[in-house]
Amino acid sequence: MIEFKNISVIYPGGVKALNNVSLNIEKGDFVIIVGMSGAGKSTLLRTINNLVKPTEGEVIVDSRNVTKASKKELKIIRSDIGMIFQTFNLVNRSSVLKNVLTGRLSQVSTLRSIFGLWPKEDKDIAFESLNKVEILEKAYVRGSNLSGGQQQRVGIARALAQKPKVMLADEPVASLDPITSRVVMKYLKQINQELGITTIVNLHFLDLAKEFGERLIGLKDGELVYDGKVNDVSDQDFENIYGRAIKSSDLLGEDD
Amino acid sequence: MIKVPKKPLPSLLTVVGFPFAIALSVFSFFQVGFNLEDFKKNLANRRLVTDTLFNPKWEWAFENAAQALVETIQIAILASILGCFIALPLSFYASKATNQTTATYLIYKSFLNFIRTIPDLFWAMLFTVAVGLGPFAGVLALIMFSMAIMGKLLSETIDSIDLGPLEAAKASGAKHNQAVFTSALPQILPNFTAYFLYIFELCIRASVILGLVGAGGVGRIIETQRIFLRFDRISPIIVLILIAVIAIEQFSVWLRRKIL
Amino acid sequence: MKIPQQPLNQKILKYLITVLIVLGSIWSASGLEITPDRFLSAPGKIWILVSAMFPLDLSQEAIDRIVPKVAESLFIAWAGTVIGAVFSFPISFLAANNTSINTISRLTKQILNIIRAFPELILAFVLLPVTGLGPLTGTLAVGIHSIGTLGKLSSEVIEGIDDGPLESIKSSGGSKLNELFFGVVPQVMPTITSYWLYRFEINLRASAVLGVVGAGGVGAELINQLRFRDFPRAGTVLVVTILMVLIVDAISAAIRRRIIKGREITV
Repeated sequence: MIEFKNISVIYPGGVKALNNVSLNIEKGDFVIIVGMSGAGKSTLLRTINNLVKPTEGEVIVDSRNVTKASKKELKIIRSDIGMIFQTFNLVNRSSVLKNVLTGRLSQVSTLRSIFGLWPKEDKDIAFESLNKVEILEKAYVRGSNLSGGQQQRVGIARALAQKPKVMLADEPVASLDPITSRVVMKYLKQINQELGITTIVNLHFLDLAKEFGERLIGLKDGELVYDGKVNDVSDQDFENIYGRAIKSSDLLGEDD
Repeated sequence: MIKVPKKPLPSLLTVVGFPFAIALSVFSFFQVGFNLEDFKKNLANRRLVTDTLFNPKWEWAFENAAQALVETIQIAILASILGCFIALPLSFYASKATNQTTATYLIYKSFLNFIRTIPDLFWAMLFTVAVGLGPFAGVLALIMFSMAIMGKLLSETIDSIDLGPLEAAKASGAKHNQAVFTSALPQILPNFTAYFLYIFELCIRASVILGLVGAGGVGRIIETQRIFLRFDRISPIIVLILIAVIAIEQFSVWLRRKIL
Repeated sequence: MKIPQQPLNQKILKYLITVLIVLGSIWSASGLEITPDRFLSAPGKIWILVSAMFPLDLSQEAIDRIVPKVAESLFIAWAGTVIGAVFSFPISFLAANNTSINTISRLTKQILNIIRAFPELILAFVLLPVTGLGPLTGTLAVGIHSIGTLGKLSSEVIEGIDDGPLESIKSSGGSKLNELFFGVVPQVMPTITSYWLYRFEINLRASAVLGVVGAGGVGAELINQLRFRDFPRAGTVLVVTILMVLIVDAISAAIRRRIIKGREITV
């Protein structure tokens, strides 16, 4: 489903974020990427929808070459890829519904969207997505009036509204407390299992990775250092990925 | 079937506000006499203006307007300095944070609000009658102008300062005024400087017009030349003022970088 | 024990500024032949003037002359603000460096700076021969100046947005236009609309004055009454103007607060 072919990314200024990474992800996989800050997790994720353009190599998603796609093709590819962010990225002053509807933008004519004349079909998709993350009743509440966990669920609903084939989650729970984090991860896992959406999640916390992950990818200094089942991972493997012994800050923990 | 929540009704502001705003706009445009015919007729006159406007007579300006320009700048300097420094203590009295006495707070705040309602040129007209024609009236008018703006800006800034240092000072025995002087004043000094430079720039622009009502400065010359449509004499004056204003703006940006 | 001193540059700067201010004041005051005693006698003279205005002239004739003119100032201010808002909005996107190309952004900002620098009265001057005496000239003068100030302020709001939502729209396949309408506009509208209202408050004062050059509004009334020494009537003009400004300011401030705060819909 997703193929990374010798991906290298060098940022202006000389920082080498990714070094010759090659990887295959099958359709329907639930993949968790771990690694230290700056190991290249965010960069790797963003090469999938070309928010970051690789300096070398190509990314193929669903048989389409993302790296070499034209502007038009890129929009089509992106509409099949949903993404959620650490900072939720909701439009604070807009309602939850309006935020979720932005997931349908690629399918609706610009003119109709500006004037708020969303076709019934798209509105229904938006409501269904909200229902899936159990936050339908807050449809008309303003984004900024929600808690962090609720905002992230709206983010997931927005991505779901795209009816995507792939779901990317860039540190989705980094700013959430332990209980809410597990709720969000639960939704992501559920969506992956029920709808068959290929899901890739960047995570910081090792215990969460073990709890929810199936396949684990470890990045260190821009290089792939681990690729295997989460259950096969030993503490030694984790130390390889992080280059040091596990600290308590690497674990989310239970209740606060 | 999922239970979709009801869409909330539009707010009172939107229901009443929007139609009112649009109606007012249409009505206003009629009232100010937007008449396409007249407009086209008068547009033919535009050559009168453009021919002279882009033909500045620099020598004439330097000979006849130099003195008045200097006067304009002097009015702005004196008025902004006096106005802003008078407004400094007034602002502390007009802020709930530093003035606990409600009665005096209301008096000072209302005073500042009142000054703000009268346009600068109105002040100039009044002062020319009270103290006579000439730049003194202009200075007084712009003092009111500066006080009004500095008063509003500064008192709002004081309203939002950190009260911590103030409480700490009082806790260690300082009297109220002492506490304000040592703990509140330093917090707002950077803002005061920024506002002062902004007001100084505004005063220069305002000062140009004072002469129209006889309150000094280059406005008198501009008015006389305007009547004879001598925009070729007016444009160099305007350009010089523009340069002065831009120079001050650059200076204030530089100064702010140094201070902050 | 070495007591730390305030850094030398800061001390020098402070002295420099104080000297500048004192010298500047003295130079200006002497150039204008203004002595302290004039300041002392001024309040007394003002008091004489103010008391000559009371009792106010509230005759039917006065009201008939003054109220329409004051209303005219209101219309000029409103129409001018509308012109300013409508035109400055698209221009501000051109001027903001995150919604526009670098060269266009800098050029637009410069043009806006030049427009802003002209006081409304000067603009009215230039327009008079073309658009004639009357409120239309005032409206255009106020409108053009407002385009300048609102353009600059709006562009600064646009430059200060959070671009996170923009990234999310982009990542879902949205176009640049989508980013603009769904990412930028919702973030900036509350602040920009409140700027429009604030501009209206300021324009009201400017339009009151425009009558001095015959561009409509109540300014001509005031100056005429003062020239003819009809102080009671001049007083009426002032009082009516002040009342109008106070009312408009209060309403506008309330609306602005509500816009910024936004509507509380919680379930």
